[in-house]
Amino acid sequence: MGRYVVKRILSVIPLLFVISILIFAFIHLIPGDPVRKMLPKEATNEEYLALKEELGLNEPLPVQYLDYMKGIFQGDFGESYKNGLPIREILPDRMAATLKLTFAGIVWAVVLGTLIGILSAVKRGKFLDYLGMVIATSGISVPSFWLGLILIQIFAVELGWLPTGQLDSWKGYILPSLTLGCSIMGTLARYSRSSMLETLQDDYVRTARAKGQRESLVVLRHAFRNSLVQVVTVVGLQIGGLLAGSVLVETVFSIPGLGRLMVDSIEFRDYKVIQALLMFFAVEYITINLIVDLLYGVLNPKIRYD
Amino acid sequence: MNKRIPALVLAAVMAMSAAGCGSKTATDNTNSTDATANTDTAQNTATAADNDLVIAFNTDVQSLDPHNTTDTLSISISNTMYESLITFDENQNIVPLLAESYKAEDDNLTYTFTLRQGIKFSDGTDFNADAVIANYERCLADTTLRQNSNVKKWESVTKVDDYTVAVKLLTPDSSFLNRFTQFDMISPTALENGVDLNKESAGTGQYVFKEHVEGDHVTVVPNTEYWGTKATVDSLTFRAVPEDGSRIAMLQTGEADFIHPMPVIQAQEMDGQDGIVVERTPSNIMRYVTLNTTVPELSDKRVRQAMNYAIDKEAYAQVVFNGFCEEVLSCFPSTVSYYAEQTPYTYDLEKAKELMTEAGYPDGFSLTLWGDNMTIEQTGMQFIAQQLGQIGIQVEVVPMEPTTLSEMIYMPEEENDVQMWYVNWSAGSFDADGSMRSILHSDNVPPTSANTAFFRNEEFDTLIDNAKLTTDTQELTDLYAQAQAIVWDECPWLFLGNDDLVFAHKSYVDGIVMAPDGSLDVTNATLAQ
Repeated sequence: MGRYVVKRILSVIPLLFVISILIFAFIHLIPGDPVRKMLPKEATNEEYLALKEELGLNEPLPVQYLDYMKGIFQGDFGESYKNGLPIREILPDRMAATLKLTFAGIVWAVVLGTLIGILSAVKRGKFLDYLGMVIATSGISVPSFWLGLILIQIFAVELGWLPTGQLDSWKGYILPSLTLGCSIMGTLARYSRSSMLETLQDDYVRTARAKGQRESLVVLRHAFRNSLVQVVTVVGLQIGGLLAGSVLVETVFSIPGLGRLMVDSIEFRDYKVIQALLMFFAVEYITINLIVDLLYGVLNPKIRYD
Repeated sequence: MNKRIPALVLAAVMAMSAAGCGSKTATDNTNSTDATANTDTAQNTATAADNDLVIAFNTDVQSLDPHNTTDTLSISISNTMYESLITFDENQNIVPLLAESYKAEDDNLTYTFTLRQGIKFSDGTDFNADAVIANYERCLADTTLRQNSNVKKWESVTKVDDYTVAVKLLTPDSSFLNRFTQFDMISPTALENGVDLNKESAGTGQYVFKEHVEGDHVTVVPNTEYWGTKATVDSLTFRAVPEDGSRIAMLQTGEADFIHPMPVIQAQEMDGQDGIVVERTPSNIMRYVTLNTTVPELSDKRVRQAMNYAIDKEAYAQVVFNGFCEEVLSCFPSTVSYYAEQTPYTYDLEKAKELMTEAGYPDGFSLTLWGDNMTIEQTGMQFIAQQLGQIGIQVEVVPMEPTTLSEMIYMPEEENDVQMWYVNWSAGSFDADGSMRSILHSDNVPPTSANTAFFRNEEFDTLIDNAKLTTDTQELTDLYAQAQAIVWDECPWLFLGNDDLVFAHKSYVDGIVMAPDGSLDVTNATLAQ
């Protein structure tokens, strides 16, 4: 397994290199540049050209790319055009906010999603099954933007139990993470239900029952553990979706995370911040995929790595 | 246990559905006991829970460096910590601040400022003539600073004595004093030591920096050594809350004490609810549509006038701004100095059609209208399209992402495809020159600046060029009045209105003044305890 991990990590390097070129090229293909945004609106064309030159944005793209990569190898991602802050100072706090939010969203999703999935499978065709699937489908269908505002209205404005946003305390995490995790919860509930239904009909489950084990043990120890492989796959695939979803959730709940930073940076054409963010997302996807692959082996010892 | 969980889930779903279907009703009637209790507390006693003032804006601060502020939020925050030699009072009159007095010399080039004595920066450095010079030198040396474009128009800043400085301009400039209000003083010691102004402050202002969480908030606390009236609140936090609904919710729950902007759609409904007071104040924002005078159909003044007659400005204010927009009778709003009122283009379709016929376009023609893709902008553009349709002008509305639009607008004339641009303009320095030069002077057609009407009128250019060179108030009044009359008659734009600034606060908040540019003066802010 150790060799497998090293091989996977090494294979990432050329991939990241190609990604960095693509990101750089695409960002510069978008019309508009940050210089107009940086200058006061009454600035003249001379001032525009002078600042563009000062920032090195009039250099040919390959030269700009090489400068950028040189900086990265020295651990310098550059400075934001928008506020002049070094990117290495901006990103950690933003990452922490989004990752904490994403983690909390996944916890909600996994706990509620698998619970609903198991209950629906065990009570197949009964009221609880239908109710579970209604909740799951609603979770997938409800736009997070709308859900967030409704939750704020009920729990912050009307009941006064929770804050409207900001991650200043544990209470602040509840509404945004619930909003964020809602769609995965629905997806997970549906996957774990079908996976459980399949497993519950397997021979070893029948054997466990025949041995006289309690139904709860049969469901949780035997059937559920095997259906987890699918759950992990879904969670892994959906984390990317969560990061995308965090754009809306962070806006509704006023959380300074990566999603909001991405939107603001694209609007400002804050090239260096966008590049750093996209690289981070790429690394994150690759890492999650690796973790998911490794988890398969933990959950099902029959899976081997070559 | 198994039975309880689904029941709870069901209850939650039902509660959500009920809220989704009737949240407005719930809010209106304040059905919840807790919410009613909160409302009663706010309305009856009108006191704040603490002495920490939280202000929620829709944007994030761009810079805490007072020499590099471009947006109103950054300016508002910066003004709590830094001060300039002169400033605007509530009525946009220029008054001394760190200067005791000032005078313009007869050469129309030199301004002498006598500085207040005994003032210290928050780091203990004395404020004096050397400090002013250090600030000038910094802005002159660093071309990336916004103040650079101002100070490079000055020939020198010299020390007459320890508390007197003379600023000499390269050419006479009637708008100098207005722009000089934005030249804030930073401690020369901090400048010398390269202090990061995003992490600490070094001004003479009423507050000092406490915390900046990038993308989230900036907190300042009272400067205990402040030379003037000391702040009465314990802390002042400016929080970024981009979503309108969330910003209103924060005000309702008391997490924010003051919000800006208050979305115009909800303004009337929220006024009086949960101890909320909604207020409006005239802005310096001119709302207009540029008419590219190089487009053959738009080159005829009669067509441009006809288009102005075809717009019902009252309906525009109602449809787009829910009534929070004032009629404007010049090419800049009345909050700007030297505003001269003109005869209105009263909504008159018959007259508009007559003019179109006279110009040879009885059946109209087609045009494109560019603008931002924000909802409120698109509503405005659709309204214009509908109105112009009444006189046969078929308008294709083209909303664009703002930065993309900006690139399209600043294309050189031969490549520029703009026909009409739905836009607004405001001069932070509240001066007539700043409100016209960049967008109407013939030197400033794209790519130089934003005269996208490609309006070229020699008489107008001469008038505002001459006005720039004089400091005589009567002469300025005459010159700017003539210039405004030309623009009004020539109609390089559709003159639409002057946005109101709409903000809201809890009833226990007092003393916050919003300037016409949207920046806040919190000098006298109080929270009733």
